[in-house]
Amino acid sequence: MGELFGGFATLFTPWPFLYLLGGFLMGLVFGAIPGLTATLAIALLLPFTFGMEVTHALIMVMGIYMAGIYAGSITGITVNIPGAPSGAITSIDGHALMKQGHGAQALSLDAFASSVGGMIGAIVLMLLAEPISDLALLLQTPDKFGLVLMAVVTVTIVARGSLWRAIIATTLGLMISTIGIDPMVPQGRFDFGSYYLIEGIGLLPAVIGLFAVCELLAQGSLPARAALGQIVGKMPRLRNRDFIPDFKTIREIGAFTYIKSSIIGVLIGMLPGGGASMASFISYAEAKRASKRPEEFGNGSHEGLAASESANNAMCGGAIIPLLTLGIPGDAVTAIIFGVLLLHGLVPGPGLLDAHAATIAPMFAALFVASLLVMVSVLLFGPLYMRVARINRGILYAFIALVSMVGVYASSFSSFQMWMALAIGAFAFGLRRFGYPIVPMLMGVILGPYLEEFLRRSLIVSQGDPLVFITSPGSAVFLAMTLVFIWLLRIRPAMAKSGR
Amino acid sequence: MRPFERFNSQAVFAVGLILFATVYASQIPKLGIPFARSGEPGASFFPIVLVVILYVAAFRVLSAELRRTVDAQTDAPLPSETVPRIGLVGPLVLIVLTVLFIVALPTLGYFVAAAVYTFGVAAFFNYEETGRPWRAIGQSVLTAAAITVFGWLFFDVFFGLSLPGWDL
Repeated sequence: MGELFGGFATLFTPWPFLYLLGGFLMGLVFGAIPGLTATLAIALLLPFTFGMEVTHALIMVMGIYMAGIYAGSITGITVNIPGAPSGAITSIDGHALMKQGHGAQALSLDAFASSVGGMIGAIVLMLLAEPISDLALLLQTPDKFGLVLMAVVTVTIVARGSLWRAIIATTLGLMISTIGIDPMVPQGRFDFGSYYLIEGIGLLPAVIGLFAVCELLAQGSLPARAALGQIVGKMPRLRNRDFIPDFKTIREIGAFTYIKSSIIGVLIGMLPGGGASMASFISYAEAKRASKRPEEFGNGSHEGLAASESANNAMCGGAIIPLLTLGIPGDAVTAIIFGVLLLHGLVPGPGLLDAHAATIAPMFAALFVASLLVMVSVLLFGPLYMRVARINRGILYAFIALVSMVGVYASSFSSFQMWMALAIGAFAFGLRRFGYPIVPMLMGVILGPYLEEFLRRSLIVSQGDPLVFITSPGSAVFLAMTLVFIWLLRIRPAMAKSGR
Repeated sequence: MRPFERFNSQAVFAVGLILFATVYASQIPKLGIPFARSGEPGASFFPIVLVVILYVAAFRVLSAELRRTVDAQTDAPLPSETVPRIGLVGPLVLIVLTVLFIVALPTLGYFVAAAVYTFGVAAFFNYEETGRPWRAIGQSVLTAAAITVFGWLFFDVFFGLSLPGWDL
């Protein structure tokens, strides 16, 4: 608890707070603009973190994360084009309210719900991180293999579209992770005789390639009117005070809806592959099921708006828990945060909180304060939100292109890393173009070394006996959970669809 | 329908993945046998598992694509009013610009390489959006100047990550 207060004290000194504000504003812009996401914003930040203290980098990342997830709903409400997939459910009722002339009210309720959800998520993170971290110290090598395998499988099966394409994407990521020195014996693998490849493919070119370069190429293949929609209609002229939330409506929605949706968001955030979109969808469905006015859902329901938005911001706190305590990133954003930690010599997983509590505590504080800033931001920038989708694409993508490439170069002063980022980006664009998901590939790149090392170590200890994964209690539990997820997320929906 | 007509772009991509798996697999014999006599897994064990998974999944996608009718394909790119075949031309232009930047950065230095690169990227997007070349060029000159200076300030001055100077 002392470290936690210390974290808040650190956050409220000038530089850390400025980093939080900077990250928050970056997250707002990237989250709100269709085609850009919090993931891309953190990926672009990655090279800059080399020049930052790790605490500042983590604070900034938390600002981007919270603001980016929230801002995904802004253009969803104003022009019905969600800035990020997490805002898609919110835009159903939010845009309906906008069309009814209640756009400012929709944006303020949206920000209020995001703030509440974000705060609840951050509080749960502060309460659960330490106990889970202590439990994680008890895990044996086969248990760790079971856990990493569960994360890899779950991220693969929750990916949208074809399961086979998701399996291919994950496998490609795992293959990339095998390039370079073998994790167990000093032997180069898949270097094709090139000394550049002996050290393997760095995380930075992989992240920049998969997200920034791939996004640049994807946007280049889309005409502007398809990328941004017809955002030329007249927006109503509004003042800042129009964005003060209507507390009568908030009372009507009820504290229970906010709390229940936030808890759903936290729980889904803790699951590998959960993510903001799934959190908002499930909590929206639950709010509709429990509502006294389900007929309003889809036609401008305040309850629906509050449920989806509380859940997707509460998810942020939930997703950080397995990342820090077990070393398991659950989605693309936490996978990149994993990278930020690694680049600064901190290995996410059991023991991190004990060894680096003073470094990590400001991160928790930042997540909590960023959720408060969400409400402040709508009061300050509400009128601007109505116009944010009109930002010039030329400026935007020229900026992204330059920062990506120079960022990769500056991290190692090697042109080879830029070639690698471009090659991975072009390959990822091909995958995306043909319907292969990118996030499982990133998870493969990041978790591959751990998966292989834990697998081989377990088999060495058991002298090649694979039953070790069933006889070890932790591993058996994780493998059983993996089978349950496969049943719930793939087999049961497929059976329901085919009418069996 | 003749067999070649079934080879849509999805099927070609799946074949590309199978070729990728084959190139990857060609390196595996150099890594030794997958298991030692004591049963311990070696450096080639995990890659072998991955290759098998990729082959199975890629062949599964390929066979599904070959069974699909041409009418069911939905991979036609959206048309642009200014750039013909934008789904292909746009990414190609951006890849060429990025290649030129990677070559130019260590040789011509940050300012020239960054200014040309950002100008090219901005000009492409501005022209595609407006269809007015002179206006796109004017906007892009300003954009390139601003972003180049911003990048230098951020990387070099603020974060101390030194960039190549103008070495000509």
